[in-house]
Amino acid sequence: MPRCDYACNTADHGLSRRAFLGASTAAALGPVGFASANANAELAKSQKRVLVIFLAGGVSQLETWDPKPNTDTGGPFKAISTSVPGTHICELLPHTAKQMHRLAIVRGLNSVSDDHGIGEKIMLTGRKPEAGIEYPHIGAVSAKLLGNGAASALPGHIQILPKGSSGFGKADATFLGPKFASVSLGDGKPPADLFRPANLSVESDAAREDFRRKLNDRFAKSRKSAATDAYAESFEQAERVVKQAEVFDIEKEDRKVADRYGRHDLGRHFLLARRLLEAGVTYVKVSHSNYDTHHENFDFHIEQLGEFDRPFAALMDDLADRGMLETTLVVVMSEMGRTPRINDRYGRDHWSKAWSVALGGCGIKGGAVVGKTNATGTAVTDREVYSGHLFHTYLRAVGLDSTKSFYPNERPVPIADPKTAAITEILA
Amino acid sequence: MPLCLLLAALVAVGDARNPLPPRVDSLIVAGHPDYAKHAAPLADDAEFVRRLHLDLTGTIPTAAEVRAFLADKNPNKRAIFVNSLLESPGYVRRMVWFLDVTLMERRGDAKVPRAAWETYLQAAVAENRPYNALVRDLLSNDGSDPKTRPAAKFLLDRDLEPNLVTRDLARIFLGRNLQCAQCHDHPSVDDYKQEEYYGIQAFVNRSFLFPNAQAATAIIAEKAEGDVTFMSVFDKAKKSYTITPKMPGAKPVAEEKPEKGKEYKVAPAANVRPVPTYSRRERLANAMTSRDNPAFARTAVNRIWAMMLGRGLVHSLDFDHSANPPSHPELLELLATEFVDHNYDVKWLVRQIALTQTYQRSSIVPATLADVPADRYLVASLKPLTPEQLAFAISQACGQPDGRGALGPFRGIFGNRPGESQDGPAATLDQTLFLKYGASVRGQLGTRANLLAKLPSDDAIAEELFLGVLSRMPTDDEKHDVADALKAAKDRTATLSELTWALIASAEFRFNH
Repeated sequence: MPRCDYACNTADHGLSRRAFLGASTAAALGPVGFASANANAELAKSQKRVLVIFLAGGVSQLETWDPKPNTDTGGPFKAISTSVPGTHICELLPHTAKQMHRLAIVRGLNSVSDDHGIGEKIMLTGRKPEAGIEYPHIGAVSAKLLGNGAASALPGHIQILPKGSSGFGKADATFLGPKFASVSLGDGKPPADLFRPANLSVESDAAREDFRRKLNDRFAKSRKSAATDAYAESFEQAERVVKQAEVFDIEKEDRKVADRYGRHDLGRHFLLARRLLEAGVTYVKVSHSNYDTHHENFDFHIEQLGEFDRPFAALMDDLADRGMLETTLVVVMSEMGRTPRINDRYGRDHWSKAWSVALGGCGIKGGAVVGKTNATGTAVTDREVYSGHLFHTYLRAVGLDSTKSFYPNERPVPIADPKTAAITEILA
Repeated sequence: MPLCLLLAALVAVGDARNPLPPRVDSLIVAGHPDYAKHAAPLADDAEFVRRLHLDLTGTIPTAAEVRAFLADKNPNKRAIFVNSLLESPGYVRRMVWFLDVTLMERRGDAKVPRAAWETYLQAAVAENRPYNALVRDLLSNDGSDPKTRPAAKFLLDRDLEPNLVTRDLARIFLGRNLQCAQCHDHPSVDDYKQEEYYGIQAFVNRSFLFPNAQAATAIIAEKAEGDVTFMSVFDKAKKSYTITPKMPGAKPVAEEKPEKGKEYKVAPAANVRPVPTYSRRERLANAMTSRDNPAFARTAVNRIWAMMLGRGLVHSLDFDHSANPPSHPELLELLATEFVDHNYDVKWLVRQIALTQTYQRSSIVPATLADVPADRYLVASLKPLTPEQLAFAISQACGQPDGRGALGPFRGIFGNRPGESQDGPAATLDQTLFLKYGASVRGQLGTRANLLAKLPSDDAIAEELFLGVLSRMPTDDEKHDVADALKAAKDRTATLSELTWALIASAEFRFNH
């Protein structure tokens, strides 16, 4: 007999993206459109947001949050003291070290899989993959659960990728529906259709929209339905998004601020992330590539973390200065860590058994460290946690009850893995 | 005499003396206490011609076609038009789209390329192959003969994965989503038993892809042994059951037991595709399409009814069970019986439905009707255009000479995710931006504008614009609006492009009304 996986929890049982949307679109769009500018500003201040920085390829915990200097596995780098007495991190992160009072470290993470794809899924969904059900990513969950008060018409789930194309339609929202799927910004560039074509003037665009509205109003007199309303409203939403399109343009940013982030790719992407969060986007993920250092782990970490360290510190300062850190959860994660064992090419290989994640901002107790690994980093010796624990923690940090369920097809699917619970030691 | 026998007897008299459409209509009328009072009148000619064209050919009519139909004084012109569209190449195109999306649900084309699959479906629709014959073909082909291999796509491009195939056989051909029954009897649907799920699975559980599921050239192989056993995850005693192939509600298929040592025509060996003497999978096609399996015809007519009317008599399409009865049970029974008696003739069924008053009702909600119950067919429903219809309709609306839209971008943006059924409208940001500023739509507007710009007067422009895009004459107000827009225009052709866009982006265009 095939292994039973409670497949009836799956999204496709009676619940399609279409049905889901048909019911939710109009309602979800309603309040945003008519809120006054002041109300929007108030909402924006209290709205909870999530920023995930994804160090793609698998960052070494030993060269970041859990250094083991002067051991067989520790590598050549020193540990340095930080803004939190007694907490040391790797010397490759001198600027980040000054931010540690704003960050908590989880050092006992076991993410179970040493595979890039599976590991990424585990870290972003808080679950091990199961046959028969695809769980939504934290970005889609955040957009869904935190997005209702969003003061922005912008999509609630945006990922900034180092390169590649921009667009919609990723499958990462699964049963939550495409409204919450990520919009990808390859090298920070927004999807092309967001901008008015050069051969369409503002006036012509407005005139044709008026004409379209008139037609819709006439049609709705005799054939009004929820579906036609939702369709008409989608153009109003698109217009609001287009009006906000300059949020994607970091050239609009104060030069001094931009210089603090740095003018290289990751600096620009962090700055864009802050602009998006400030404009009311619920969830932004920035990926930094590539930490998959099977060869020359140490050289590559000098290079990669050298790119990461200063802009990350600038970002934390900027969020704090703008009063956004209280409402923005910041997570620095990866799809896995790297082996304590140094291979014969001075590399470190894939490793999921004992590594670290750093969190800060909204709902997180800055300076907290939870979990321990042994002297050489080869095993967790205290407070082992899984990605599910982290998933609960993210949700709790932004004020959500992580023990609740989604109900695709009126069947309960726990939002976070019920076999795990929040890491309360790091919650503020 | 039971209704079905009575009806079977009546059919023998022939279509001419006892046509189906009025019988359908009278069952719809009987489904509402005061139908005549509340129902919308029949659609006017313009509404009808657009609706029928979209449903039967997958695109909107040209302005010339609308004009000709409006001018036609023949009282029988609707029936004539139905027949002419059913014989047009557009009908083949539309039904290929319908069958493809119904059967494959936009899954990938790893093992049978799209072009070969569409060619196969085109041939089947063009010769109006009976539906039961088509499905028999789909379920019995093992993919080993390159000439007929496309027929095996249903199984091959599901990787012959037993749970996926079981689920989709039940959903697509039997109208039953038995997925919950993989692990236990359905908790809320009494009819959906675990044994039904595994009874279906027993037809395919010995089959597998050779040499492996990853190979693009994989073909279907089968072992001579292997039983299906199951237990409920809710059963503390963990009692296990063994089941042989059977369709839900039917008797188990009689199995053959070959002599010992003669189990295989081609025995398993390294790099050899085994072929058993007795094949369970070969029994699947007949068991599925047998008259003893009434759910098969019932589901087929329900799906075709939904294609035409925008909603199944059983709703949702894959949730047929006794606690979710059809909106019009006798009608579903009638359609299923007639479909079988007409040798599973899809074109015949589409014609019958198109000729009903129920289909031809206006979508304009009568002023006296405050609330429109979705399942009473008082008013025609608004059906969102499928991605394919939208692509072709936009192309036609823009006056592209061949009226053929590029399907790829529309399928990508508006299509359901692979493996999900396509139903209900959506209006997501990417879709709207695609229509609003995207090059796929924008690049076509100029063609229509250039055609319009050649016309002698603003009135003529308004008329051609509305007939060409919305398949109807403009109202006086709309003529004024067009004239005003042109008066204010700095660049007439550019303005005509944007007016064309406004019509295309309107709700009236987005829905088949």
